[in-house]
Parts: sequence; C-alpha cells; structure tokens
Amino acid sequence: MNRRLLSLIRKEFNQIRRDRRLALSLIVPPTLQLLLFGFALNATVDNLRMGVVDLSQTPQSRDLIAAMTQSGAFRLGGRYSSAQEEGNAIARGDLDAGIVIPNRFADDLARGRQVSVQILLNAMNANTAAIAQGYSEGVLQNWNQGLPRGGVNASFAASDLAPVARTGRVLMHPAFLFNPGLVTSWFIVTGTFGVLLMLNGSLISSAAMIKEREAGTVEQLLMTPAGTGEIVTAKIAPLVVLLCVTIAVATAMIRIVFHVPFRGSFALVLLGALLCVLSGIGIGTFIATFTKSAQQAQLMSFFVNPPLASLSGALTPVEAMPHWMQPFTVVNPIMHFGVITRVVLLKGGGIDAVWRNLAALAVFTAVLLSLSVMRFRKQLG
Amino acid sequence: MRRIFAQVRKELTQIARDRLALVLALALPLGLMLLLGNSIALTVTGVPIVVQDLDDSPASRNFIDAFRESVTFLVIPWTTALPPERAFESTKARAALIVPQHYGRDMARGLTTPVQLLVDASDANTAKLVQGYAGEIAANYQPAAAPVKAEIRLWFNPGRESKKFYGPGIFVLGISMFPPLLAALAMSKEGEQKTILQVYVSSISATEFLLGKIFAFLLIALAEWCLSMILLVTYFGLHLAGDPTPLLAATVLYAFCVASFGTLLGAAIPNQAASIQAVALGGFLLVFLLSGLIFPVSNIPPQLRWISGLVWGRYYIEIVRDALLQGGGWPAMWFNVVMIAVIGAVFYLLAWKKMRRMQLSV
Amino acid sequence: MSAIAVDALTKRYGAVEAVRGIGFDVQPGEIFGLIGPDGAGKTSTFQILAGVMEASGGKVEIFGSPARDARSTTGYLTQSFSLYPDLTVAENIRYIGDLRRVTPHDIDDRAHRYLSMFDMDRFTERLAGRLSGGMKQKLSLACALVAQPKVLLLDEPTTGVDPVSRREFWDTLAHLAIEGLTIMVATPYLDEAERCHRVALMHLGEIREMGTPAELRGKLGAKRLEVHTDKLGDAEEILLRRSSEGQEIVDVQRFGDRLDVIAPDPDRGRKVVEEALGSQGLKSDVFRVDQPTLENTFVATLRNIDRGKSAEPPAYPGKHPHRDLAGQVAIGARELTKKFGAFTAVKDVNIEVKYGEIYGLLGANGAGKTTTIKMLCGLLGPTTGSMELAGEKGSLRSREVRERIGYMSQKFSLYDDLSIDENLDFFAGVYGVPPEEREEKKKWVLAFSGLEGKQDLITGSLPGGWKQRVAFGASILHEPSVLFLDEPTSGVDPLARRAFWRMINKLADMGTAILVTTHYLEEAEQCNRLGFMVAGELVAEGTPQGVKSKRGGHLLEFLVDQPQRAADLLREKGDRWRVSLFGDRLHVITDDDVETGKKKTSERLQSAGIQIREAYEEPYSLEDVFIVVVEKARQQGKFAKED
Repeated sequence: MNRRLLSLIRKEFNQIRRDRRLALSLIVPPTLQLLLFGFALNATVDNLRMGVVDLSQTPQSRDLIAAMTQSGAFRLGGRYSSAQEEGNAIARGDLDAGIVIPNRFADDLARGRQVSVQILLNAMNANTAAIAQGYSEGVLQNWNQGLPRGGVNASFAASDLAPVARTGRVLMHPAFLFNPGLVTSWFIVTGTFGVLLMLNGSLISSAAMIKEREAGTVEQLLMTPAGTGEIVTAKIAPLVVLLCVTIAVATAMIRIVFHVPFRGSFALVLLGALLCVLSGIGIGTFIATFTKSAQQAQLMSFFVNPPLASLSGALTPVEAMPHWMQPFTVVNPIMHFGVITRVVLLKGGGIDAVWRNLAALAVFTAVLLSLSVMRFRKQLG
Repeated sequence: MRRIFAQVRKELTQIARDRLALVLALALPLGLMLLLGNSIALTVTGVPIVVQDLDDSPASRNFIDAFRESVTFLVIPWTTALPPERAFESTKARAALIVPQHYGRDMARGLTTPVQLLVDASDANTAKLVQGYAGEIAANYQPAAAPVKAEIRLWFNPGRESKKFYGPGIFVLGISMFPPLLAALAMSKEGEQKTILQVYVSSISATEFLLGKIFAFLLIALAEWCLSMILLVTYFGLHLAGDPTPLLAATVLYAFCVASFGTLLGAAIPNQAASIQAVALGGFLLVFLLSGLIFPVSNIPPQLRWISGLVWGRYYIEIVRDALLQGGGWPAMWFNVVMIAVIGAVFYLLAWKKMRRMQLSV
Repeated sequence: MSAIAVDALTKRYGAVEAVRGIGFDVQPGEIFGLIGPDGAGKTSTFQILAGVMEASGGKVEIFGSPARDARSTTGYLTQSFSLYPDLTVAENIRYIGDLRRVTPHDIDDRAHRYLSMFDMDRFTERLAGRLSGGMKQKLSLACALVAQPKVLLLDEPTTGVDPVSRREFWDTLAHLAIEGLTIMVATPYLDEAERCHRVALMHLGEIREMGTPAELRGKLGAKRLEVHTDKLGDAEEILLRRSSEGQEIVDVQRFGDRLDVIAPDPDRGRKVVEEALGSQGLKSDVFRVDQPTLENTFVATLRNIDRGKSAEPPAYPGKHPHRDLAGQVAIGARELTKKFGAFTAVKDVNIEVKYGEIYGLLGANGAGKTTTIKMLCGLLGPTTGSMELAGEKGSLRSREVRERIGYMSQKFSLYDDLSIDENLDFFAGVYGVPPEEREEKKKWVLAFSGLEGKQDLITGSLPGGWKQRVAFGASILHEPSVLFLDEPTSGVDPLARRAFWRMINKLADMGTAILVTTHYLEEAEQCNRLGFMVAGELVAEGTPQGVKSKRGGHLLEFLVDQPQRAADLLREKGDRWRVSLFGDRLHVITDDDVETGKKKTSERLQSAGIQIREAYEEPYSLEDVFIVVVEKARQQGKFAKED
C-alpha cells in the first residue's frame, strides 16, 4: 500500500488510541441506549387499575367483576358508589379504567335480554385505551362464552330472538407467531440497533472530520503530498473499524441480555449493519462540511437525528404513522435496517425477503458517502 | 442584584446574535413537535391481513366482509397455495384469518365456531392491538348473540387521537432539551475560551453569576414555551381543561429547573462539544425514556422505575397532560409541582457547589 | 507598603512544578517586568496574583491583603484578551463594569475617556470579534481599567501586535504609571522590558535575575562592542569559538545586522575581534562601544544555564542540498490580488524569491501577509495574478510540488494529541523521507529542540515555544527546496531564536529558498531581501540595507534622564511618528543633517529641564523603518488609522 496512506492511517489510529472519550462513546452510550430502551420502553398494557361500581350486587355481577379483575389485564382499583365518583377518580389519576354494572344486570340476564355494562377508559393514551378496550371485550366474550348453556342460554334460545339465536358464535383463536411470549423488548431492541449505529456513526464521523479543522492542522495536512482522497480514506477507515466494535457490543447485548432469537442468517444482518454504519458516516461527514466547530456539528445533528430516528419505525411502527407520512420512511436507512433485522432475526427470513431493503440501503450508502466525500474534498482542496 | 441583571442582559444579547442558537431554541422545537407529534403513534390502523377462506360459503364470505369493511384492517389477496406465514416474512401482512372448512355448516347449527387468527408478533404491541381488533369485529359481528355487551366510554380523548397524547410529550421534550443545551453551551464556552477569568477577577459571587445565567435561559425557556403552547392549541387542538394555575406555576419552576440543569453540566464540563453530548445524553435519554413521554411509566420495570421518580420531565409532563386533557387541578398535581421545585433546587445547589470558589480549579 | 508582595510562591500541577519558590516586591507606581520564554511559569504567577488560582505554597499580597481578597483592586489582562467576540466594544466594557460594580454613570465616563485615549471611540458599536489585534488589546486594557484598579497585571499583552501599536501601548502604560497605577507586565520583547522600572527574568519556574534594567546590564560587568562585518554568520562562529578559548570575549550575539560582542575590557576585546576576524580574511568594523542591552544579558544568562547541558546541537543531517538550483526563481508572484467579496485583502503584490535566498515578509497582523503566503504556497487561489512555485506555473497543488515544499503554519503545525515521536513519524512518512534517514533526522529534531529522550511526551503538553522548535524540525525532515515559515519564532526564548536563525541560514546556504514572516524585526535583518506589507500592498521592498537607506533623513538616538517625558514633549511640537522610545532610548528622526538636528532637539529638551547624557546618530533599525513606512502609508491615505 501507498506509504502516504499508511502514514495517514497510522496517525489517525494513534490519535484515536489516545482519545479515551471516543472509546467510551463507542461502548457506553450504545449499551445504555439498548438497555434503557429495551427495558424501559414498554408499551405493554396490563394490570390497569379498574374501579368497580356494582349497582347489581348479585352473584352474576360479582362473577363478572372477578373475571375482569383477575384477568391479568385489570386489577381491582377500588369500589365506588356511583359512576360520577368513579369518573372523578379516573380524572384524579387514581384509576385507569372503571366498570359500571347496572342494577338490572342479573334480572336482564335471567330474562334473556341483552344487558350492557359501561366500561370507562382513560383515553389520553390512545394505545392504552385501544388495548384496554380489546382486553375488556375479550374478557366479556369469554365470560359470555362461559355462561352455562342451560339456564340462561336456554332462556335465550326460547325467546323471540329465535332466528338470531339459532346462529353460532365465532370464537377467535389467536396464535402469535415468532414471539409467542409477546416480549415487547424484541421489537424495541431490534429497532434501536439501527438507530444506534446511525447515531453513533454520524456523531463520531462528524467529530473526526471537524477535529482537524478546529485544531488548525488542516493547512499543514494540505501542504503535505497527501491527496485529498487519501486524507478522506484515512479518516473513514478507522471509523468503520471502530464502529464494528459497536456492532459487536450491540449484537452481544441483543442476544445475551434480551434473548432475541437469531433465526435467520446473521450474515445478512451484518451486511445491513455495515451499510448502516457507512450511511451514518456519510451523514456525519456531510454535516461536518457545513459547520466550523465541533459544537456546531453537534447542534446541527439535532436537526438530522430526531427526524431520522423517529421516522424509522424503530420504536413505533411505521404503520401507525399518518398515511401521508409513511412513504417518506422509504428514504430512511434506519427503516430498512430495522426491517432487515426483524425479518431475519425474528422471522427467519432469507435474502428473498430482504433483498429490496438491502438494495435500498446500498443505494443510500453509496449516495450519501459519495456526496459527502465530494463536498469534503472540495472544501479541503 | 445589578450584577445578575447585567449577566442576564449579556447572555441574551449573545444569544440574539447567534442565529444557529435562536433557530435551535425557537424554531426546532416547533418543527419537532409537528414532526414527532404526528409520527409517533402506536395504534395502527389498516393492518394488512390475509384471509384464507377454506369454506367459501355465503356465511364465511359474510364474515370476511366484516373485516373488509372495517377500518382497522385491510384485506389483501393471497393465494391458498402458499402458507400465510410467508406473507409475514415479507411483511406483506401482519395477520392471517383462516376460516375453517365447515364454518357455514357449524354456524348454521348454532355451534360455537373457532376461527384461527395468526398474528405476526414480532411487534408485540401491534399484535395485541390486532388481537383486540379482531375480537371486536367478531363480537360485533353478531351483536344480538351476546348476553352482555360492553358500552365503551372513552374519557379525555374521545377521538383517540394519538397526537393529543404525544403532542404534550414532545412539547415537554422540547423545553427539556434545548434551553439546557444553550445554557450548557454558554457556560462551557466561558470556561473553554477563558472569558471566565475576567469573571473570576471581578469577585462576583457564585450565586450572582449562576442566577444571572440561569435566569437568562429561564427566559428563553419561557419564550419557547409560549410559542410551543400556541402550536399545541392551534394545530394539536388542545385547550385548557380546568385550573391553569398549576401549569403556570410549574412552568416557571420547570424553566428554572432545566436552565439549572444545563448550567450545571456546562460548569462541570468546560468543553463545548462534550457538554452538548452530556445534555443530549442526560436530558434526552432520561426525559424521553423515563418520563412517560411515549411509553407509560407504569410499564417501566420496577428496578428502573425508581429512576423515573428522579426525572424532572416526568412530573411536568403529568402536569401538562392534566392541564390540557384531564383537568385535575391542584389536588391532583400539587406533589408534582413540589418535586419540580425540589429537583430544580438540587441542580442549582450542585452548580453552586462546583462554582463556589470562583477560581481556576487546578 | 508594597503594592505587590510575593514570598516563596510555588505552584504545582500534579507532578509538574511550574513555579518553584519565587519572591519579589513591587512598589506603588512601578512598572515591573517579567520576562522569560514559554513555560517559565509567568502565566501561573499572574493567575495567582489575580486571585483566580490557588497557590500551592507561599504568600501573595496586594497592598497588604491576600491576592484573593484584593481582587477588586486588581485589573488583569489575560494572554487571550478574554473578550466576548459576539458583544460590541461598548457592551464588553459595560458588562465588565457591571461585574465590577462600577456605577453606570462612571462606566460611561471612563469608557469614553479610555476609548478616546486609545482613539477607538468610533468603534463602540463594532463587535469585538471584528477588531484587529491591536484594537482588541486596547479594548482589553479599557475593560481592565474601567474599575479603576490600583494594580494592573498584564500577561504578554503585546504578543503578535505590530510594532506601532506596541509602542503606543507602552506609551499608555508609562502614562498610567505616572498617574500612580502599579503595573506588572510580562513581555517577550526585550526592548519593552527596558522601559520597565525593574525587571525579573524567569526561567523554568525560578527567578534568575532581578533588578533595574541598568543593574541587570551592569551585572555582566562588561561592555558591548557593536561589530559590523559582511559575513556575519561566519564571523559569529569564529568569535564564538574564540570566546570559549579566552577571557577577553565573554559572549557573542547576533542582533540584526551586527554582532554584539561582550567584553570586560573593551580595548582588549576590540583587539581580539579584529585579530580573530582578520586572520580569517574578514573585514570588521567595531562601530561603537556601549552598555550591553537587556537582550545581551538575557541571552548570556540563558547560555550560562544551559552550559551545563549539551553544547551546540549536532549538525543538520542534510543529504540532499539544492545548490544546483541557485539563481533560479523558486517563488514568484506577479500582480497577485485577492478579494473576499468587496474586501481586497491583497493588492498587486510582486514577489520573487530565488533558491538560496531568505525573503522576509513583514507587516502588522491583518496586513495581508498570511493571505499572501497562503496564495504563494498554493493553499488559496488568487483572484487575479500569476504565480510560480518550485518551477511549476500551472497547478501549484500538484503532488510533485508539494513534495518539495516545507511549510510551518502560524501556531498550528503539530497534532497535540500525538507524542513528539508519532508526529515526526507521521511527517516523515507522509513526505516520503527514506526510511534509512528517518532515525537520524528524528534524533536531530529532538536535539535541536532540546528535548532529547523526551520523544514520548504528548505534544499538547509542551509550552508554545518548544512546540515551535519541534514543528520547525518537522517541516524540514524531507529537506525541501522551498520553505515557508509563518512566524516560526513567536514565543521562543532569545537563545533558541538565534539557533533557529542559524539553522535558517544554513538551509539557505544549502540552496533552499525560504520565505519567512516574523514580528521580531531584528531577526528580519538576517534576510537577504524584505517586503513590507501595509493594508494588502507591498509598500517597501529590497535588501535590509537598501530599505534602510531609502528612508532618507537621519536617526538620532538620545540618552536622557526622563525618556517618557522627553518623548511626550517632542511629540507635541512635531510629527508624532518621528519620535519613539526604544527601550529607554529616545529615537528622533530628523530631515536636517545630523548636527543641526542634534542641536535643535537638544535645545528643546534642555529648555524643558531634561538632561541629555548622550546624543549621536544611530543607523536605522528595521523597526524604525517599519514605523516610518506605516506612517507614510497612512498619510498617503492607504488606509484609515486602525481600520
């Protein structure tokens, strides 16, 4: 290899070797992010505090209440004497949900008349409300199912609602594929992986590119016989090597701490990770060409990273975004990497499932890297 | 007192001349609110679902129509030749409905008919939503058949608009991130560029110096608050639900708290780039993750949940949501206001301890 | 009571002892100078005196109170000026005044007073970041004075500032001292040190010498012989050798275009000089016998200190001289112009440097020197004009050209986070120094810098002057045929500076073309040719001798008992620029012939009660020429004062 390039690379490594902060920032923030995101970000909805207003006070009403509060989705939050009181408790934040059973409950059931119970939900958090709604209806459905065929249902059958009563009932049997335990951290952690690589990649690359300009050694460097292409390559190569450390750390955590299954070929994920890292470096270099100091670059990254991270489906699904926003995620490398990781690791997909995403990643990487390197070279020269 | 005022004036003059800082403090939070407030949501609609009708009877088609007509699902075609799981791998669908062969016959006989629902659970939350949606459709498909029917009443956000929940969250995130960022930058710049030496020589006390800086950024936080509030009311369609005084009191205290946070970090780390990272790491991670911004605090495992009790953003976000959606007022929120004041005082004391000697610390 | 009382002061940074027990007293109204190279411990001392840093041991008192408590009576000018670049001049003063609890009324008053004293009241609304170096310095001084301190601490306030501003600054200081202000100042310029009442010489954390300038000069116990000869470099070497052989010559120092020979007995010394030089076929002319200057004392002291250590650094292991290129143009520029938008930084500059020549580019900060150099070495493209570099006319940035060029930029040449060894390895590798030569060359750089055995030190931990030495060595590892040096000696002690210039001369002897800028004008005398830049234009050019003789008029030097008062008096009547103080000597430029001029000036001085000890004609120094050139350019309206 060209002696100049070697000298340049050796210099970069020597500088990196002494930069303790850099070494730490490759390991500590990613680890923290994965741990915190994986454990703390949990959309699970269970053990909601449910208040009870039982105006019926019959064995049937108590049975229904027991079914609700022992379902695991809800737990008994307190007994109240009126819907108004219960509503206030929800407003105060003492309860997450409430049930109101009318006093005609048992009578209507015995007479074969449909009776409705009110379920009050705090809908501030739409997701919680939707899931809670699903739970409560599921519990009800099961409870309806469990009503003995004789007795109540027999009366049903004998009523005037004959034609309808004669049809059967549908019972949904859900089977959860790929994640039977419904572990929420798997989704989060596989998404965070890409965010990590991108974020850290862009941060350390913009810092590296700017360092020379800040220290003022750029001129000296430009007066050496080294070409700008060599200078840029020497700067990028060590970064890629370093970020492989981050990839390794993240992979270890995902596997060991979060027990994410590795069903498909990890090589595909690795390829995606490398491309992601290179995209991150491209973005970081691009930002560096617009700014004059390290702190400016960091501030600029606040304009770039939040949109990238949030429009990526990393933490919240792309399908949940407004429909007009969803197409924009196609240009987000993190989105593609998230898909690759999830499809390959969780679902065991192969190249036929993810080649489109890999191709998109490759295109972005190539475009980002060449644009930013071109700009950087122009600035240097 | 005069010195504090002079400090405030100097800081504001400097910020006013720094265009990048101004955009960061005022425009970016609004942009983020719009962007994130819209994009962050957990509730999917139009979930692509694949249907395999092994019965192909009028009854089964009827049943499947219920799914077609729902807004929560989007039925997509799939050949019966391939197993539905393949649709999951290529992420074409998230669920598969398999109507069994004797569906029509069993339904006519009045039997309870099982229908299989395969759900892609790689996203556990969406999987549960899907389960709920499907169950709802099945339950409402034959409303008269159910003895007990649930009448769902949604309080405080009847339209179930995600952005009403996340909007305030991003609002708080903006105030928690950018004013302390600027405060940390201003403080560490003094150390880095050694202008702090003149401050030291002037024998100004640490209290006066710190309060001057903190008040300057408190004002900036309040400015950002006003602009963001306007956005919350106009675009996000939120409005005050009840007594606004807890919100106002808490806002001033919170502005003090975040300004102190930034100043503390800037004093501890006299390197501009590093202090930005610290604020980003600390402020963002903590406030974003552990304050219930997006994911409820109650979901955080107990081992970590106690940290949430220390995060200032968590208390303020509850106050904001309460003021705009719930309307609980002082009885509900007094503790939060107190906690914000306490945490702010702690940050200030730590900063004071660092700067107390007003000397180079070598 | 002393204004400043320091007793057994020590300061340690971890394992490093920066100040090792110094003690001195400064009386009220005194100007006390602290001189010494980078790393001597001056800044630490100032910071402790200003009360912004704890001492590790010892006592520091300002008017009887500990320094920490006396901060309200102290004004402190730091090396980096401590100004807020994004605040205006007025806002900066206002803020500092508020911090110091000066009433708004007083702030306005004093700001107005000082700004008009410094001729800056037109610039109250300009951002401090957009001021020139000289103006920033004055603004810092105004900020320090707004609180009416009793003690003023100035840490190298004139570094890098042009000679005109420097002299004006010291005039201001002298006036302030007369008004009763106690001033302690550090400076790298020994002529400024001569204007202090007393001076202390610091080296490696200790005070080596202290006393009035006269006392210090007398300590050598010798006289100074000014020797002029044509081959100064050779003469210096011959006489240095001779000085170690006998007692008649104590030291030989090159200064400008002459040699200062220190001899206890001037007559015997003179004889020895003539004999030693004559035996080598060199003509010599002992121009004058005089007191030694402070610079002489300093250099001699340093040489004594170093005498225990290694002698002359080993010879430069140069294996590829360029003597065959002699006579050809190495660096050429014709009608070089550079515009940044509407602002013309460089206008119609013509320069030609041949191989084997040393060309000095002089000018104040902001005159366009750095822009010109950047264009000449290919870093910046010109707006118009043609250039030639190392034989290449078109693409100056080609690899072949860069392989033959050496470059030492102002202040930033080495990587602070690498060790010295790693830095040298890098430059050797990237410039393609043959592997077999590398070890020898690296060793030479370490010896030249006085850092043998310390190659694993992190470069960032070195004081500035030492970094310069290593950077210089790094820039010549590959034996370039063209060398660009941008202020290579700033912050370096006088002894090492001479070593630098000996090296520069040797390189020129070997055929290298050298373009150098410097603020030490006596160094510029060693150049073959010079160019003065003012406001982007080359206003004077030629050999040092030629430039000086072109000035016309005569320079008269007066030794008087009240130099400052004399200067003020003479300035009232005539052109300001004709009168200046160099050290404690009065320089007057007159257009009359020598005798008439002497008589007229002496009369005016004596009628004001000023005693004249000596008056004679002195050949122009480059600094005098510089001042004249700048003034003339101003008068021709080339640029507004301090714009």
